[in-house]
Amino acid sequence: MAGSGTEYSLSGGAAQATVLGNAFFVGSVLMGFEMLGSRYLFPYFGGGIGTWAGLISTVLAALTIGYFIGGAIVDRHPSPRVIAVSSAVAAAYLALVPVSADPVMEIILNRIGDGPAGILIASSILLLLPLSFLGTFSPVAVRLLLRSTAETGRIAGLVYGISTIGNIFGTLFTTFWLIPTLGSRNITYIYAGVLALSALSMFILGRARR
Amino acid sequence: MYKFTRSALWGAAFLATSFGLWSEAHAQAQGPRSLVESKESLYNNIYVYKQGSYYDMTFGYNRRLYTESSYNTLDDRELPMFYTRFMTTSLIYAKNVTSVLEIGFGGGRTSWYLHRFLPDMSVTSVELDPGVEAMARKYFGIRDEPNFKIANSDGRLYLQKSKDKYDIILIDAYRGPFVPFHLLTKEFYQLVKEHLNEGGVVAQNVEPSTMLFDSAVKTIHSVFPQEDFYLAEGNVVTIAYDGPPRSPDELNKSAEDRTAQFKLRYPLAGMLSQRRRLPPDISGGTIDPSAKVLTDDFAPVETLKAVENHNRKWPDQEPNTH
Repeated sequence: MAGSGTEYSLSGGAAQATVLGNAFFVGSVLMGFEMLGSRYLFPYFGGGIGTWAGLISTVLAALTIGYFIGGAIVDRHPSPRVIAVSSAVAAAYLALVPVSADPVMEIILNRIGDGPAGILIASSILLLLPLSFLGTFSPVAVRLLLRSTAETGRIAGLVYGISTIGNIFGTLFTTFWLIPTLGSRNITYIYAGVLALSALSMFILGRARR
Repeated sequence: MYKFTRSALWGAAFLATSFGLWSEAHAQAQGPRSLVESKESLYNNIYVYKQGSYYDMTFGYNRRLYTESSYNTLDDRELPMFYTRFMTTSLIYAKNVTSVLEIGFGGGRTSWYLHRFLPDMSVTSVELDPGVEAMARKYFGIRDEPNFKIANSDGRLYLQKSKDKYDIILIDAYRGPFVPFHLLTKEFYQLVKEHLNEGGVVAQNVEPSTMLFDSAVKTIHSVFPQEDFYLAEGNVVTIAYDGPPRSPDELNKSAEDRTAQFKLRYPLAGMLSQRRRLPPDISGGTIDPSAKVLTDDFAPVETLKAVENHNRKWPDQEPNTH
């Protein structure tokens, strides 16, 4: 299927749709997990503006790391497997969160306290690693979809636009439907499942390209 | 502190006729109401209004919805907000009255009332917003005194860090339309229970017009076997305690004794007429059977608060109660 076009790029409608579809789902999980982060942190660090500041800055720090590293790696290894591995690692991490979050939060609260340091460390442990891996998605996807420099703007716009639509969807769907229906721990497992499926589809795409 | 005016009408109508104590600040206050100070704090937009001798604190521009506290400058022992009087029914139940913890200080009326009438009792009130405490000190007659302490903290965090135990814990931490979910879960009430002395009691102000009330009642019940309800002009004050139920006679005697002992302004025995009990399994039509216990994992408080429950029916009071 895919494989025509230039050396590193994906072409073919199905391959492009897979990458863009994953941009949406990864974007959804990313912001959905930020909203969910508040449910994990509030009982320990309070429901104030400080906790939100910790959550938001941690998510942005994770994106920063993901953008830098993802962009650097994909130029050396331009393969869908880069984001397949990233999503798989994030899925595994999220799958561990429901059972480990409470004891970890308690240790941070008792050792470091509930001030800015405690909040930032707690939100970093909860979010920084998995969301950094998810943050690699967009620069990698841009590189994979790019067939010529003449369409750089369009491709970059498309990937970031769809990923951001995913962010919006993840925020709203998590807040207004998932949290009132399922409970935070189950939602976390669902996110892990979505990321695992996303990783699988990108692995398959990587093999098909050969 | 938060007065729930949305559903105050039916409560006011029936209580005003059946109960002699009704005296809303606004009904007494004379003259025009003017804004004294507004301040954007870390957590709230605080407005202080003056009308006659009364100061009101609100947390939103729409003062009809968000009145948190009311204070009579001529009489610091008055409790103008009707439901706060019912928070003092906790005095009927507590085995001892040496210490009280309040979560949600607001304008500090309830805790100050208890402090003035029971000066030997240690009063600690936890307030999240330093801006609220500052306004209470400036306009609501709050000052440092022995046995009266305000702690600046999230209520749950305070309990988590504290090793102290109390005879009475008062919970009134609603802020306008915002309900902090972590102060409404089973895990939170277990924490509260761990901080109660033997024979201790929890009093909580809960607004009954939405499904959040149904879940809150079930959640409290999952930790405390005994739950009494006081219908207070649209609000419901819930009293919860461990151990066997107190008999109406026992409550009545304690109400008479403590009112006399501390010369309380608002007699406790009179409030017993507003007391309601539900069957041990909380069934009987007052509480929606589909309501779920809230946990740290599952607590959709915003969603539950959006579902109104207009048809709530309370059982008649027990025949042998006053």
